[in-house]
Amino acid sequence: MTLKNNLDNIRKHNKDINAILELNPSAVADEKKSKGKLKGKVIAVKANINVNGLKVSCASKVLEDYRGTYDASVIGRIKGEGGIIVGMANMDEFACGSSGETSAFGSVQNPNAKGYVSGGSSSGSAASVAADFCDMALGSDTGGSIRNPASHCGVVGMKPTYSSVSRYGLIDLSMSLDQIGPIAKNVSDCALLLSVIQGFDERDSISHDSPEINLKDVEKIPRDLVLGLLDFEIQDARIQELINEKIETAVKKYGWKVKKVKIPSLDLAIATYYPLVYVEFFSGTRRFDGRRYGKKIDDFAGPEVVRRLLGGSEITKAEHKGRYYHLALKAKKLIADEIAKVFKDVDCIVSPTVPRLPHKIGEEISVEDMYSYDALTIPANLAGNCAISIPAGKVDSIPVGMQIMCDSFEDGKLLQIARSIEKL
Amino acid sequence: MTDFLWHEVDEKEKADIQQEAKKIMDDFSKKLSKVSKLKEAEIERPLSERKELENANSLNIDKDIMLKNAPESKNDFIVSEKGEW
Repeated sequence: MTLKNNLDNIRKHNKDINAILELNPSAVADEKKSKGKLKGKVIAVKANINVNGLKVSCASKVLEDYRGTYDASVIGRIKGEGGIIVGMANMDEFACGSSGETSAFGSVQNPNAKGYVSGGSSSGSAASVAADFCDMALGSDTGGSIRNPASHCGVVGMKPTYSSVSRYGLIDLSMSLDQIGPIAKNVSDCALLLSVIQGFDERDSISHDSPEINLKDVEKIPRDLVLGLLDFEIQDARIQELINEKIETAVKKYGWKVKKVKIPSLDLAIATYYPLVYVEFFSGTRRFDGRRYGKKIDDFAGPEVVRRLLGGSEITKAEHKGRYYHLALKAKKLIADEIAKVFKDVDCIVSPTVPRLPHKIGEEISVEDMYSYDALTIPANLAGNCAISIPAGKVDSIPVGMQIMCDSFEDGKLLQIARSIEKL
Repeated sequence: MTDFLWHEVDEKEKADIQQEAKKIMDDFSKKLSKVSKLKEAEIERPLSERKELENANSLNIDKDIMLKNAPESKNDFIVSEKGEW
């Protein structure tokens, strides 16, 4: 597919899908001079990642006219390898959401399940890939925001190891959890994009070097693998059955072993995650005071952003010391330690990406139920590990994703395992 | 129960959201406080400072766009606060 095909698809279908907020006027010119590892590859960028000259709106009225004044490090790397930025992708407002509904510029339709949410918060990124608006996309993942929409839209999405991809130029949701990552139609393209964007960056204070992704090794089938099948009851058993069937097929074909694994404190993941996010988001958004750019966030944000701001403001008061954030940090360490222990016996942990099918756009749902979408994706963020969602099939004609998680800095191994299962 | 579609939030809804957010956080806090095996989450860092870039000031920011982003600017300055001094 060429850029022309992608642009034609956008012109025909974006008014219904609403995945792209702004097209890059230089895309056609950029295609002519494209050379490098990403030659000819068309890439959509989540609207919370700075691209010089394009609107970095975070899908919010607060920044609706704000234009990026520099390229994020990942964008510099993409352009350096000939990647063509097609435009800025819609998202949940300031990445606050798991459905793609909270954008100030309209919700994102799921291209592979009409009427249903695309997932979030990287809703437009995943939908753009699913709708052939681009070859690949960048998203950001704090508690599942790449993997969740990848699962709902039937594409591949990966959260790399925390600190392996520079966050310089990412407008943060929660700085101790955020990670930029790739979304693509297949694992090979995900690996390709990750190989370009990962790497040490002095401009990101927590940046780490990580083992280079060997694209040839990703295509090899690993031998003597031990899969850990997560023992955790989910809302929709049909999803688990689909995952179990895939695992059974992989084990038979490749001679892998499988064992059931438990993360004892997994049911604390949501209660751990949200206090951390509320506090870090509140802290990180004090800059949006409308003085140097944009508008004052407290006055122009939608309900979910307001919820996190007011909640974050409340629980950071001195009188609540030790009750919320500090407690959540302790629980974060507990969960991370438990996951590290599991990885002593297995090569990866496999589960559904999301415990239920997506709801319909605009459907009423409790805040607790919305937050519960993240139950299986959050642990990888709390532990800093790498995790990927790949298509596992469909339930009621709606795409369902399988999540594979590996230990920190085993991103290459993760991609190899995912590719092997994808080849089944 | 609510839908999650974006809409403007008025003061009454803000007050409701604030109460709801506090309740959610309290429920989470209650759940975590029941866990007896929580330990302090210190992280040992060998270095407490990081080395700055050699050209730390040359960040290649597009100044024209930066000034256009500002609600009010004058020549090379963003006017962010006015007052009687």
